[in-house]
Amino acid sequence: MSDTPGAGSDVDDAAAGSGDASDAPDVSDRPPIEPTYSGHDDRPHLSQIQRQQTPYTESQVIMSTVKVVAPFALTFGLFVTFHGADSPGGGFQGGAIAAAVVLMIAFAFGIDATREWFTNVVVVGLAVGGVLVFGGIGLVGLVDGGTFLEYARLPIPHPVKYGMEGVEILGIAPIVAGVLVGLFFLLAAGFDDRDGAGTETEIADATTDDATTEDDR
Amino acid sequence: MSDLLLPLAIVVPILAATLPLLFGPRYDRIGWPIAAITTVSLVGIAASIARIVFVEGPPTEYGIVHELGGWQRPYGIELVADELSASLVVLVALVAAGTLVFSRVAGPRGNAFYSGYLLLTGGLMGISLTGDLFNLFVFLEIVGLTTYALVAADRSGASAYASIKYLLVGTVGASLYLVGVGYTFLATGSLNMIDLQATIATVGYGDPLIRAGYALIVVGLSLKIAVFPLHVWQPDAYQRAPDAVTTVIAALVSTSAAYALLRITYTVFTVEFLAANDGITNAMLLAAGVSILVGSVLAAMQSDLKRLFAYSSVAQFGMIVAAIALANETALLGGIIHLLGHGLLKFGLFLAVGLLAYGYGVRRVADLASLARRAPYLSGAFVVLGLALVGIPPSIGLLGKWYIALGAVEAAGGGDLAALGIAAVMLVSTLFTLAYVARIIEQLYFAGADPGPGDAGSTASAADGPTGPGTLAQPDGGRTEQRDVPTGAFVVLVVVALIAVGLGFAGFAAADLFGPFLGRMI
Repeated sequence: MSDTPGAGSDVDDAAAGSGDASDAPDVSDRPPIEPTYSGHDDRPHLSQIQRQQTPYTESQVIMSTVKVVAPFALTFGLFVTFHGADSPGGGFQGGAIAAAVVLMIAFAFGIDATREWFTNVVVVGLAVGGVLVFGGIGLVGLVDGGTFLEYARLPIPHPVKYGMEGVEILGIAPIVAGVLVGLFFLLAAGFDDRDGAGTETEIADATTDDATTEDDR
Repeated sequence: MSDLLLPLAIVVPILAATLPLLFGPRYDRIGWPIAAITTVSLVGIAASIARIVFVEGPPTEYGIVHELGGWQRPYGIELVADELSASLVVLVALVAAGTLVFSRVAGPRGNAFYSGYLLLTGGLMGISLTGDLFNLFVFLEIVGLTTYALVAADRSGASAYASIKYLLVGTVGASLYLVGVGYTFLATGSLNMIDLQATIATVGYGDPLIRAGYALIVVGLSLKIAVFPLHVWQPDAYQRAPDAVTTVIAALVSTSAAYALLRITYTVFTVEFLAANDGITNAMLLAAGVSILVGSVLAAMQSDLKRLFAYSSVAQFGMIVAAIALANETALLGGIIHLLGHGLLKFGLFLAVGLLAYGYGVRRVADLASLARRAPYLSGAFVVLGLALVGIPPSIGLLGKWYIALGAVEAAGGGDLAALGIAAVMLVSTLFTLAYVARIIEQLYFAGADPGPGDAGSTASAADGPTGPGTLAQPDGGRTEQRDVPTGAFVVLVVVALIAVGLGFAGFAAADLFGPFLGRMI
């Protein structure tokens, strides 16, 4: 508990009158801020609270809620993805919702624990695999003597329908999900992670995403 | 069949960008070979495209056209290669391949870097080849995002700051462009460039939506090009980025944005639109003129080499924007030549600066003192490129500026006072360019501590070793110094310098090559 000149709110500064942070000896004589000033005797003033060293704490409420909500959110993400071709939605939005599920789980159960389960290989695999599927579907038409992304030339039943669905579901959605999760892990890891080959990989993934997903608007 | 080359030029680098990540965990240094193979094949693709466009003659009146997915013109996205885009594609492919030679030695290393690099190349190809306004936005964003990542690729605090500055400004620029495209779409209901040409004429050049759309597009792209009041991101980004990254973004990124402005102005809105809207052209000329002047002045004031040439780019792109706004055949030809020539020159200059920094630890103009003694060939190539930037004949720099200035004088003869101002400002700018290039030459050849009597060469290299732990006391010979300047990159630099001089003789050839294009546009 220090005298925290910056953390004190302007209300306290007003209460202290002219005694700003400049009056250093004055501050040391008396208690810096009245603990009860927040208006609640039972709650300490914000400046009295020690910052937690680890931002993450297990909360039974949050963990239980996330456990219940996560399957529904993921299902909604998949729904949006699968219906993208003929209703509002699509790979972009669906992938983002699916990634949000992972983010939610990470917030509830701890980021490190989530990283162990949702490994770098999965993150990179989603992004890279999505790009390759997209490019592959596009190139089939080209190889067959047509134009790039000419779905009609795909050797499958209902090629135009399933070709477009394939790009949305197997291409764009995994890229978006992989990149969002990767960027989240990267931000959570902080900047000082000098040796992280994995984190750099994810930076590149971020760009990979925009390359191909926006490619087909 | 030939139109298959267009999607390949874009898809090949983007797909190849996944490979370093895919094989990265198993093979540590797979990134460079993949990037090298890809860019070399891109040079091949670009050469074939150029051959079809320039030698064999394009299959349609618009050039090579590829309809993605087989969707017809007003609805589908097209890729189009005409004379202008084909030449830009060649420049992109050559610079992308040339930079790799340097980045192999100088870094940044790592597979992720090469993924980003290939994506950037793919995005630049996309900007050059797309025939659709919205698709152009997508590729602008790909180029933007990869550039932000690459600027920060050495993970230092300064470059991260430069990168986020660029990100904020670049995003605003892209958004303004998108809003402009939205206005145009609202007025016309089309996004296809060739289709818009006719549709905009039908709606009318005085339509407020069309005018607002064009104005927003110009401002958005000016942010990306870095024209004077909107240039604030550019010096930081160029200075703080790793040397190899500066080389490629200085040569290509702003160039591609300027290409986009040229393409949209002439293919989409057409020269009649400019003629019908004097206010817009005059505003563009004013901004360009200020950019030319202020960019040159700021460049002359810099002491950091990379920052100096960054501000010089602000001035040069001002000339290109002026050429676009002048809207006569001579100026436009000059604009095209300067667009390509400036890209080539900045590639060479930043490569030279990178090599000087790599071999001798040179960062500032003052560090260059007497360097010509220790690195005669490197300094020579550097100076040749610098003089080409000033516009000393014969050089590509002269050709571009000459035609732009000539076009400005022609327009001024028609009573356009703003054009007269452009011509005057270009002359002043050239003097400033001469001033800062002369300062570099003076430092290289005439300044610095005299090693004293006796054998100048060997004592110099033994005595003053500000950087480099392994001071190799060799007699001067260009490539034998503290840290050996990589031979491959040095050869690339010399070739670029020779091309920059050689193309100085190609004025009439350029007029012939781009003649059909200019004929269609004006």
